[in-house]
Amino acid sequence: MSKKSRSKLWFLVHSWLALPIWFFVLIVCVTGTLAVVSQEIVWLANPDIRADKPADDTELLSYDQIIKAMNRAEPDLIVTDLIRHDESHFALMARVTYPDGRAVTVYVNPYTGVIQGISPSFNFEQFTRALHGWWLVPFTNGYSWGWYLVSFLGLPMLASLVTGLVVYKRFWKGFFKPTLRFKHGARIFWGDFHRLSGIWSIWFIAVISITGTWFLIEATLSDNQITISTAPIVPVISRDKVPMSDPGVPAPMMPIDEAIRIATERIPGLETTFITLPSTAYSHLSIGGRGWYPLMFQTAEINPYNGEIASSHLLSDRSALEFVTESMRPLHTGDFGGLWIKLIWAFFGLLLSMMVLSGLLIWSKRTALATLHAFKRNNKAQRQAEHSQATPALQTETPEGIR
Amino acid sequence: MNKATTVQPPSPLRAFWHKWRFHINVLLLLVPLGFMPKYFADAALFRGDSGLGEREVGEVQVGPWSLTLAELRNEAPRPDPAGPMKSFNAALCKECVKQVKATYLRIGKPRSLRAAGVIFFGTPYRMGAALPVPERTSPDAELWITMEGWDGSMQQASIPLSQASPATVAWLTQQGVKP
Repeated sequence: MSKKSRSKLWFLVHSWLALPIWFFVLIVCVTGTLAVVSQEIVWLANPDIRADKPADDTELLSYDQIIKAMNRAEPDLIVTDLIRHDESHFALMARVTYPDGRAVTVYVNPYTGVIQGISPSFNFEQFTRALHGWWLVPFTNGYSWGWYLVSFLGLPMLASLVTGLVVYKRFWKGFFKPTLRFKHGARIFWGDFHRLSGIWSIWFIAVISITGTWFLIEATLSDNQITISTAPIVPVISRDKVPMSDPGVPAPMMPIDEAIRIATERIPGLETTFITLPSTAYSHLSIGGRGWYPLMFQTAEINPYNGEIASSHLLSDRSALEFVTESMRPLHTGDFGGLWIKLIWAFFGLLLSMMVLSGLLIWSKRTALATLHAFKRNNKAQRQAEHSQATPALQTETPEGIR
Repeated sequence: MNKATTVQPPSPLRAFWHKWRFHINVLLLLVPLGFMPKYFADAALFRGDSGLGEREVGEVQVGPWSLTLAELRNEAPRPDPAGPMKSFNAALCKECVKQVKATYLRIGKPRSLRAAGVIFFGTPYRMGAALPVPERTSPDAELWITMEGWDGSMQQASIPLSQASPATVAWLTQQGVKP
């Protein structure tokens, strides 16, 4: 095959990659963009989730102080998890159970311990993630088929990136001579837009499509019971290490702050931003937070009766492969470095959505017509053409063809 | 591209594809719309807004204590790498919240506290356990609940599996296990 016809074939592949499912791809891109900033959207909409500082010199409460304050207001409430947000303008999230059996997340002011509100039954954040991540298809046995459906899109997206760069001759010149022509009609504008946003999004499309493909691999591995994790399997606390006490008197647990202090002393570099309280009398207190590498978390399991560290999973325990695989999710979601990274991710997510749309517009204005003409010509001439569909589609004037 | 398809009139399959290819989008959009009621029902179930589980079994007296038992889902055990699993939820009686150290679930009578079965995770107001249900389980088996006090004392009670989960018994019967 000649060089020219090969590049024409590439162009055709690029043109047709997402087409029959373009609207699906578009919705996945849009919901993904929304999911990146879903917490911020909720923050704007719901004052309960904001962390207002009562005075400039007010300090953050410790975990024990927060639980104490919560139980002062609601003595029967049981706290199961506390999560401090990366960004200080967010309230603390506490998972709690009420005596009526409701297990909900409540928003707690990190300075006062006041329960500011209960998360609404429509959880915008979870809904956009579920729609984007698995198309709302329920998980019944392993991963949902919706997860496979969405994560499979990583492959055509990667192919779109590669074929797009192949057909856009000397695309790097676009960085120095950005072209966006407004006065030459919609076709030219959308073509320029598609190429310009494409080259500036190379890194982002690569990140999203590779991490998206990883989600496909991850599900496949998991559904075949293959694990690459170095995370320790922590056995429950043995019977003899749970103190006996009198009937009706729960064995006393040590203060959480004290357990965290001991753990931090023994494991240098361990920072605690979330805790999970023991979920049975034989379970550990689990604490964790980010380490020096912001994309991954370190955790430790502590015996709540004596403060003994049962196990820890630190950055230094991770294999090189895990540094790659565990980085995939934060790289996909952009939630590893505060608001600005999220905003960058959201901006490029929007740009990517627009690329799907502009790609469709270009296609409908050019490729569809060209293909239609090609078929007409072919039928008329009854001639044999090896690349009948490919060739006429590219005989029309395209910037990719003439560059 | 093969020669035949371009020279000859398009095959019916090809014409069909050409006519309907963009309707895949519509089909794909129907998927989340169809699952949306299920999604919100599940969200309410896990928040506890729609009760302890999909089907409440009722109050079970266990010695001086009692608990309310519910099937998380009113359905047969779900497949799992470790064998079929059936999820139950439970809530302790108001008076025994502080009394009970641990609650366990097992098919068949446990020989000792150490073999009491799977433990309930969670808070006394709402806790859950995933019970392994071997495919050979007899449909008239008994579900045993063991509760442990903070002093190490033990209380036990049992209810028929058919009462705890009719869907599980139906599934076992369908598996061909003779009662």
